[in-house]
Amino acid sequence: MTSLLTILSLWRRRAFWLILAILIALAALAAALALQFQAARYVSAATLGSLLIVPASLQIIGASRVVLRYLERLVGHDATFRALADLRVWFFRRLARSSAGGLGFRRAGDVLARLVGDVEALDGLFLRIIIPAIGTVLLLPVLMIVVSRDSLPAAMLVLVLFLVVGLILPWRAARMSRAEAKAGAAAMGSLRVAALDTLTGLREVRLFGAEGRMLANIQARESALFNAQRSLASKSAWLQSAAFLAAQAAILVIILLGPASPLAAVAALFVSIAAFEFAGAMPAAGILAGQASASADRVLDAAQARPAVSDPTQPARLPASHALTFDHVSFRWRNAGPLVLDQLDLQIPQGSRIAVLGPSGAGKSTLAALLLKLASPESGQIRLGGVDIATLTAVDLRSRIAYLSQTTHIFADTVANNLRLTNESASDDALWTALEAAQLADFVRSLPVGLNSWLDEGAGNISGGQARRLALARTFLSPAPILILDEPGAGLDGATEAALLETLNHVPTNRTILLITHRLMGVEKLDRIWRLANGHLVSATG
Amino acid sequence: MCEAPKLLYLAIMARTKTNASLLVSQEIKQGRRLTYRVTACGAGAAVLAILQAWFAASMLAIILHHGTSSLPLAAVLFAIAALARAGLMRAEAHMAFNLGIAARRRLRNHSLNALLAIGPAGVRGTHSADLAGIVVDRVEAFDGLHARWIPAVSMAVIGPALGIIAGFIADPLAGVILAIAALLVPVGMAFAGIGAGIASQRQFTAMSRLQTRFIDRIRGISTIILAGRSNDEAASLAQAADELRVRTMRVIRVAFVSSTMLDLAAAGALIAIAIRFAAPLRNHLAATPLALFCLLLVPIIFAPLRGFAAVYQDRMTAQAAAERLADLPAAERLADLPTARAGREALRAPQADIRTVSASGLGIAFEQVCFRWSDGGPLVLDHLSFRVPAGEMLLLLGPSGVGKSSIIDLLLGFARPTSGRVTINGADIASIVPASLARMTSWIGQHPMIFAGSVADNIRFARPEAPDAEWQEAARLARVTDFAGSLPVGFDTMLGEGGYGLSGGQVQRIAIARAFLKDSPLLLLDEPTAHLDPATEREVLDSLRRLAVGRTVILATHSAIAHEFARESGVKKLDLGALKHERLRTAV
Repeated sequence: MTSLLTILSLWRRRAFWLILAILIALAALAAALALQFQAARYVSAATLGSLLIVPASLQIIGASRVVLRYLERLVGHDATFRALADLRVWFFRRLARSSAGGLGFRRAGDVLARLVGDVEALDGLFLRIIIPAIGTVLLLPVLMIVVSRDSLPAAMLVLVLFLVVGLILPWRAARMSRAEAKAGAAAMGSLRVAALDTLTGLREVRLFGAEGRMLANIQARESALFNAQRSLASKSAWLQSAAFLAAQAAILVIILLGPASPLAAVAALFVSIAAFEFAGAMPAAGILAGQASASADRVLDAAQARPAVSDPTQPARLPASHALTFDHVSFRWRNAGPLVLDQLDLQIPQGSRIAVLGPSGAGKSTLAALLLKLASPESGQIRLGGVDIATLTAVDLRSRIAYLSQTTHIFADTVANNLRLTNESASDDALWTALEAAQLADFVRSLPVGLNSWLDEGAGNISGGQARRLALARTFLSPAPILILDEPGAGLDGATEAALLETLNHVPTNRTILLITHRLMGVEKLDRIWRLANGHLVSATG
Repeated sequence: MCEAPKLLYLAIMARTKTNASLLVSQEIKQGRRLTYRVTACGAGAAVLAILQAWFAASMLAIILHHGTSSLPLAAVLFAIAALARAGLMRAEAHMAFNLGIAARRRLRNHSLNALLAIGPAGVRGTHSADLAGIVVDRVEAFDGLHARWIPAVSMAVIGPALGIIAGFIADPLAGVILAIAALLVPVGMAFAGIGAGIASQRQFTAMSRLQTRFIDRIRGISTIILAGRSNDEAASLAQAADELRVRTMRVIRVAFVSSTMLDLAAAGALIAIAIRFAAPLRNHLAATPLALFCLLLVPIIFAPLRGFAAVYQDRMTAQAAAERLADLPAAERLADLPTARAGREALRAPQADIRTVSASGLGIAFEQVCFRWSDGGPLVLDHLSFRVPAGEMLLLLGPSGVGKSSIIDLLLGFARPTSGRVTINGADIASIVPASLARMTSWIGQHPMIFAGSVADNIRFARPEAPDAEWQEAARLARVTDFAGSLPVGFDTMLGEGGYGLSGGQVQRIAIARAFLKDSPLLLLDEPTAHLDPATEREVLDSLRRLAVGRTVILATHSAIAHEFARESGVKKLDLGALKHERLRTAV
């Protein structure tokens, strides 16, 4: 629950709007109670032959209730949107600073997507948890006053019932759903692994006639997920039933214990019906709060994770030269894990073109991670123009390197904005030059609005080859003198990959190129070719 | 030519939208047929609520007038009705939950089957994480539609109708008041809905772009960080969020009018009924329970309508999820895929033509085979003919992209020729039952799949029912046993997602062990050593040599060592690169 409070503290800036929304919501609630109260009084007074209130007041209350409800929704949503925008921007900034930001480097897009789901799970925090909770707390004295005018014992009993509905059940619901959320997430993860396994290994599944087995496996995990969800649903159903029966019991209590003052009894009854209806949302709010607090924990964990490589306190100046040197560099991803790089030495002179080959998992991408300060070597030094990169800030270092990876993201934005990511102030001419170099200019020209064409999420509306070319054009556009291309042709068919690599030959010769790939297509013009195996580089042909 | 991408883009956009809406309306139709039990429980609960209102009203009348009827009796009846209603509400929730489960089970099964049917060639170019997202998350998003939205629609009609009927029976005039109030709701909702529709149509594209911006930027956050643009992006994210708020509020202002209509109708009904009974009550005390009853009916009538408004987002969630799900080829639309045609026609072919082929010694032949991946795409294979007699090996040469993998996919039945025939022992491959074709073929590619499970599980994947001695023998022959000892817990070491990572050579040996265990007469090797270092490559080839004995083998490769290996075995070669060159020269 402390993480929920931390999230709430982010919203201090929006206090005005949030408090306004709470006040309007409370006014709307008060109007609802008054409406019930007056209608009941009016009818029961009429039955006793005396008219206490003119219908006009009833209409005024009714009208203000309707208007207040409208305002409540409007202001409540407006305040929520403001608060949620703050939360999202805060999360983005923190994630960019924390080590989790580097997750995308290692194909963890779905981990990030799940975190986004956690941020979205906090959307209901204000409207569906905080407002009902404040309303319920303030309802309590009102209810007590109205019912005790009728009968004190009734008031005591109703107090107990109201506390059950508004406090005890929601509290239990929150604890229960927090525990269940864990089981549910585990079951969901297990289903995802089974589905991913089957779909990644579709070829093997078909060839070994394993369709039935794999389907059965997925279905078993699906059933486990459904059981977890059923357990949550059944427990929440018990809580809801308990809340419902408590409200019904309150009605009986008021009627049976309060015959002394019939008029007050009828009014008390109608008010408590409205009060219990409002508080009836609390068990559901409790369930939501349990889930939201689990989400808040994960969001905070990700946002507050320490960066893998922290910047030096007294950063050195960027050197003028951009020759790169690996000097006896050793590295492992995990503490007890295998050594990925073992006393590795590599010279990449300014303006040279180097390829590093090796099977996947050999540690080729680790070279890029180290150069970009997404990780730091266990021992040894990496130097840029003779300066140890450990003494440079990450931002300074990255301004010298344009990096294209297999996971380089194409944003849901226009072609132009996707390109300008690496060079904000580039002119349209510069964009076209980069597109020409990546051999994508003809395609972009053929689009209805050219550079302003919109690209869908995940570049869904262009082909895989076009997406890679766009990423390549973006890398070309960067003013950085060093280009690191990590499997630029991954996921492309051979012909497309060869054509793509061929474009590298037209890059101006003053730029350094480090090509990381598991195979060469035979079209690349390179100065040196290295093969990475067992943490060492061996010279290959060339 | 320049128009093509534009038209394609528009066509894709149009198709996606229609398919998604179609899928959702089909689902709603299907869901409605199953929802009657839930609705019956809901209706029962509504009737009990009406009875409770009547008992409550009678009790109040007794209190007000010190009436003669028995207060305890009414109280007991009220309590019984409350308990029964609680039971029915639980049953309703339980059955609705099961509807959601059944629908998700059905959709997940359908989408998985569709993906298994179109096979690896059909999903070329789609990341498997995306496919898993369809099968897992998008199917989950349909829960609300079936478990909540569809039942709520029925209850939004039945609940108010029952309340109004009760009102009529109690007092016709009050019944009319309640009916008018209830009818105002859909009318008001329609007006507001139309207004919101117009407003949201104008905003739709901008809003949906702004909505996806956050998740998109988080997914691509490392690209942003490495480009040094995180601060700029955070600022523009804030700006986009504010713009989204302003635009959303513009739509919501109109959309909330419909909820306000609900409040207005409810308040109006309450006041109208209070006034309606004010005059009669002064003269006829007997009308007291009636008046109170009608007042208590108001919340009963409006609760299902509020319930309906509350689950509207469940429908929107399903609609959004439907877009990718609907794009999965349904059984009918599988026909559009060249790769799936094979399976369909095999099914459609007359019984006599479906055959299995004797499993000892397979000869294969390509007869004038042409092939392209998509209808408008370039011709990958152009009138290719060759023959591999049983027990021999063919080496497929040529640079990447020349059609080596296409030949293998044609032999696996994942793709089918645009024209010409591929035969196994003289039988057209299209006439062979896919399961039987799979039984007689082993395939090892560049990146064999390692499934989540132990080393032993991964070998036994080929034949789970194999006795221990057999898979252990296969592991020995493929030399998995050599490295299994150095793994943390030997053959029980867990691999795959979150498990122990194997080297490329070790993965290949597991794939070879699978092929040994499967023991099929046809062996297709697609660049099995492409990314291995020379020493490992030799070891893997050595295992492959033993595997190849007595089988018909096609080896696609451009590795020099593999050529050497094949030369020793004295095999035929087919240089696709040279063939293509040849054809070009003749054409010129």
